[in-house]
Amino acid sequence: MTQNSTPKISLHTIGKTFTVRPTKDAPLGSTLTALDGITLDVAAGEFLTLVGPSGSGKTTLLDLLAGLTRPDTGRVLVDGKEVTGPGKDRAVVFQQYALFPWRTAAANVSFGLEGPGPDGKRLSRRERAERARTYLDLVGLAGFEDRYPHELSGGMKQRVAIARSLAYEPDILLMDEPFAALDAQTREQLQDELLRIWRTTGKTIIFITHGIEEAVYLGQRVAVLSSRPGRLKAIVPIDLGERTGERDIRSDPAFVEHRHKVWSLLHDEVLKAQQAGHAKILPDGTAPDQTPQTLSGKAA
Amino acid sequence: MSAPTLTTDTPLTPQSPATSGRPVPGSIPVPGTGRPLVLRWIRSGAKAVWGAGAVLLFLLLWELGPLYLAPASTRVFLPPLHEVLAALGTLIAKGQLQNHLAASLTRSASGFGIAVVSAVILGLLVAWYGALDRFLNPLLEVFRNTAALALLPVFTLLLGIGETSKISIVAYAAFFPVLLNTIAGVRTVDPLLIRAARSLGLSNVSLFQKVILPSAVPTIFTGIRMAGTSSILVLIAAEMVGAKAGLGYLIVNAQSSFLIPDMYAGILTVALLGLAVNYLLVGVERRFSRWRTAVGSGTA
Repeated sequence: MTQNSTPKISLHTIGKTFTVRPTKDAPLGSTLTALDGITLDVAAGEFLTLVGPSGSGKTTLLDLLAGLTRPDTGRVLVDGKEVTGPGKDRAVVFQQYALFPWRTAAANVSFGLEGPGPDGKRLSRRERAERARTYLDLVGLAGFEDRYPHELSGGMKQRVAIARSLAYEPDILLMDEPFAALDAQTREQLQDELLRIWRTTGKTIIFITHGIEEAVYLGQRVAVLSSRPGRLKAIVPIDLGERTGERDIRSDPAFVEHRHKVWSLLHDEVLKAQQAGHAKILPDGTAPDQTPQTLSGKAA
Repeated sequence: MSAPTLTTDTPLTPQSPATSGRPVPGSIPVPGTGRPLVLRWIRSGAKAVWGAGAVLLFLLLWELGPLYLAPASTRVFLPPLHEVLAALGTLIAKGQLQNHLAASLTRSASGFGIAVVSAVILGLLVAWYGALDRFLNPLLEVFRNTAALALLPVFTLLLGIGETSKISIVAYAAFFPVLLNTIAGVRTVDPLLIRAARSLGLSNVSLFQKVILPSAVPTIFTGIRMAGTSSILVLIAAEMVGAKAGLGYLIVNAQSSFLIPDMYAGILTVALLGLAVNYLLVGVERRFSRWRTAVGSGTA
């Protein structure tokens, strides 16, 4: 992939440190380096997947891209401009769907359309409903406009969440393990849907995942993060040829080879993270593994 | 709906592969699936009678007890139900009851309204600004744990026996349940929803309006319902102490004038009013939290 113009997203030596709340064992508190010196360019329209062991700062990186937090060192650039806060040029899809339970599917999708748009104009109620229907249709949920989230299955909820992110037409889709909570069948189905949506809309997608197969299957490139502090260990370009027809790509020799490559890159890091007992860094900057007892049961 | 047939008799039905696939030991027809309609009517009728049974029994005891069980002296102080209802009829016919009811309703509605508006606003502020919470919380704890009626003399001394003191004490009593529930409601907003809204670039004001408030509404309404009950409770007591109209005044005045059936008529009205207010608020609450059918809808 040649990048002659400015990259869509550009990370320059990103570092992020959290101050850990004082605990009984460490009354003065401590610091936790989540990310260290990450430099990465993503081209417009690229699908990049990001894998890394638990606690390697994947979500932190996504928060930085979304503008929910600011890096301590380095700069995050989108279209050559520094990210200073959240914006509608970027959308986030969360693992836990984050749908507003008091809104119907259609109202959830039109949530991001309610403020003034990029041209400063507000959409009328009818235009918003129209747009919501279009995007629910795109994710295969036509006819579910009036359902409340609790009436939808996990896969449908995530479809609604994706539709909500697409509805205000951002250039970049940031996805934080969006399919991790779904069953295997639904996950594969949604992976294919996502690829289809990506091809039709031409969005730039950064997709965080735990699954190596998922990363290889979806991404044009797979970025592998090291265990804490998260550093960029390697970038694996994925070339699986044309993805047409009913071919089972996952059993293709090229796929297996790529999967193994990512696996071996990740394997050492996962071991390291496990030995150190790393767990997910929570949004407030604390990590449960700061206390000795390790909880590995929860699918983070 | 057909008569209950044993599933093992019809192994060819495609709808029940689970039951017909392998012989279930001693397959029992599922009870309650094909009951005749009449039987179900009788059952629901019986349920309604059983549900109202305790109330009917109590009313019957009220009617018959004073007539046959109690000595004549007691009958004066505890007149049977029909005498009370007759007194109630007379009070309504003369328009007295309506006047008292109107006076009470005006006071409790004004006090209740003031309390709800101010408590919701203060609750939102306290829940949002931690510093304000730390500053106000000790004081609020002191006031909250001071029985409202204990302050009645203070209100009367400072504000007289007129409407102002009545409305104030109602507002005081109704204030705390709403305040505490508003704080709890805002505190328990799913942080993920806030993150999702933030990633959309919502300002603080619209975050409040579109995420925090709707999410806290069910909890706030629980407080409002509690406030409704306590506002009537406190008002009646306040009217008993010093007033020229109102249901509390009616009760006390009837007692001191030895119009015992009138007194019971007043008490009955208070009971019915309390019930009506509660049902009304439950209805409103249900209407505003329809989406909350599944408790804890944010399944992990």
